[in-house]
Amino acid sequence: MKPISTKLSVSLCIAAVAALMAGCASHGVKNPSGVPVTHLNPDEQGFVAGTGPESQDLVTVADKMARSIVGIPQIANAATPPTIVLQPVENQTRFPINKDIFLTRIRSQLNTKAQGKVMFLARKQMEALEKERNLKREGAVTASSDPGVQEFKGADYFLTGSLQGLSTRTAAGTSDYILYDFHLIDARTSVMVWEDSAEMKKQGLEDAAYR
Amino acid sequence: MKSLWQPTLLAGLLTLACCAATTQQVALTGNVMVDGPNAMANGPPRDRVLWEYRTAAAAMRQGNFSLAKQYLDNALLTLGGIYGKDPNAKKARGYFHGEAKKTFIGEPYERSMAYIYRGIIYWMDGEPDNARACFRSAEFEDSDAENRQYAGDWVLPDYLDGLATMKVGGDGMDAFKRAQAAARGIKLPPYNPKANVLIFLEFGPGPTKFATGQYGEELRIRTLPPTVASAEMRVDSLKIPVVPTDDVCFQATTRGGRVMDHILGQKAVFKSTTGAAGNLALMGGLTTAAVSGDRTAQEVGLGIALAGLVGTIVSGATVPAADTRTWDNLPQYLSFACLPLPVGQHVVTVQFLDPSRRVLANLTKTIHLNITTTEHDKVVFVSDSSVTPQTL
Repeated sequence: MKPISTKLSVSLCIAAVAALMAGCASHGVKNPSGVPVTHLNPDEQGFVAGTGPESQDLVTVADKMARSIVGIPQIANAATPPTIVLQPVENQTRFPINKDIFLTRIRSQLNTKAQGKVMFLARKQMEALEKERNLKREGAVTASSDPGVQEFKGADYFLTGSLQGLSTRTAAGTSDYILYDFHLIDARTSVMVWEDSAEMKKQGLEDAAYR
Repeated sequence: MKSLWQPTLLAGLLTLACCAATTQQVALTGNVMVDGPNAMANGPPRDRVLWEYRTAAAAMRQGNFSLAKQYLDNALLTLGGIYGKDPNAKKARGYFHGEAKKTFIGEPYERSMAYIYRGIIYWMDGEPDNARACFRSAEFEDSDAENRQYAGDWVLPDYLDGLATMKVGGDGMDAFKRAQAAARGIKLPPYNPKANVLIFLEFGPGPTKFATGQYGEELRIRTLPPTVASAEMRVDSLKIPVVPTDDVCFQATTRGGRVMDHILGQKAVFKSTTGAAGNLALMGGLTTAAVSGDRTAQEVGLGIALAGLVGTIVSGATVPAADTRTWDNLPQYLSFACLPLPVGQHVVTVQFLDPSRRVLANLTKTIHLNITTTEHDKVVFVSDSSVTPQTL
């Protein structure tokens, strides 16, 4: 029989070491070996998520809009492909974002999938285009056609939109609703010939330590 | 009894070894522009947002807005993705870690200020709608105050929300009315559609945090008496008085209690109770073991003493301390002015005044403005600690 104090001593040593080892582990760095790069489809929600617009929303919204635009009679039945100019989207939500990314994806979808049913005008590059045309007119560079003829196309339609939001924050969490609205405006008549929208609602609650 | 010293000594040594091995201390120079990047690179990841906030504010005062933008964007990414499970936050709620174990995102007034600064930079970059998004988020961060009277009661974010709305072709009067309702004793100027120069001002020492209570479990906000109470701006020959629109100290002190305060209170009670019970059991058990001649009574006494020791250790390991990490270079007051200026060179002089309305000459700032178009807004940011002169 070992004396009781020896038993106590051994037990306490084990308990102390166990407790302190646990304590040390909590001081350690999370994922000390790092996390390998995870490939995700842009339309799936990753493990990093907020309540604002994210890539899966962009993909869903842009795809829906592109499909919707290409089906309207003004485009589907047009004798010649209508020309479209992108106008900036207005962000009315509480989330600062690169809002033009929605139009970029809609344009990209239409250019790749609509088989030339619509054409987009590169108005953002007008300065460079005018400079190039002037160089051709001056004879400083070669031209494959008569540079004196006005060939820059005018817009048949303007494509624009807005992101509008409703946000709520209470002790129960944060809720964000975003309405993505896009419309096509006839440049000649100002008639809105097409409009479609998509909605997203997200809710989340942060850890109590942040409340 | 002698052998009881062995585990105690071992525990002490292990504690010291453990702390020595894991503490990430960064030597500070006092210059945020040096300390910030150093702390972000070498300090604890949980403090990263804190240093991003501080360094962004310092960069704005140096006129380095692209750097401030980079830090604020990083910080706001963390802030916007804080939902759900967070192992560090879980530790902060646990008995054996202080609140400062959590990833710092700041109290609501600090989060709001991060959005306000980012909104100013968005406006500088010609994106008033994204600026408005930031001002809306600034109000949003303040919207779940325990005391509803003070929820979402920043003045400037609402005022700027309306101004940005007007700039992008909307009405903006709803936001203006909200701002006017929250303004305490100030009549806000109506929006001027022709105003193309927006001047943001900040001055005075901002709030800091400290802890009170037996174990430092009660978070408190310290506000210093204002050293700068107002300002006077001269634009060419025009003189414009500037009064504070928002008081960051007021925002910091009017939110009421936090959920975390309740958790820290429970931790303090646990620490106190286990400590008292542990001491009592330890002393009682040892006394029983020492004075009793009966072996069984001695063993029972030692058992009680052991339980007491465990209680004392648990109490000692409980950390109810509140998180006092502070965005310590915030201003006390925010203000704003906007005016129409024609294309050309202009000089803006800002004089800061003490509470007795005496000019603090050492804080006077000069900004040379080059207005090249009236189509876009020229945004000016002036702090009482900004570099001077600036050319924009």
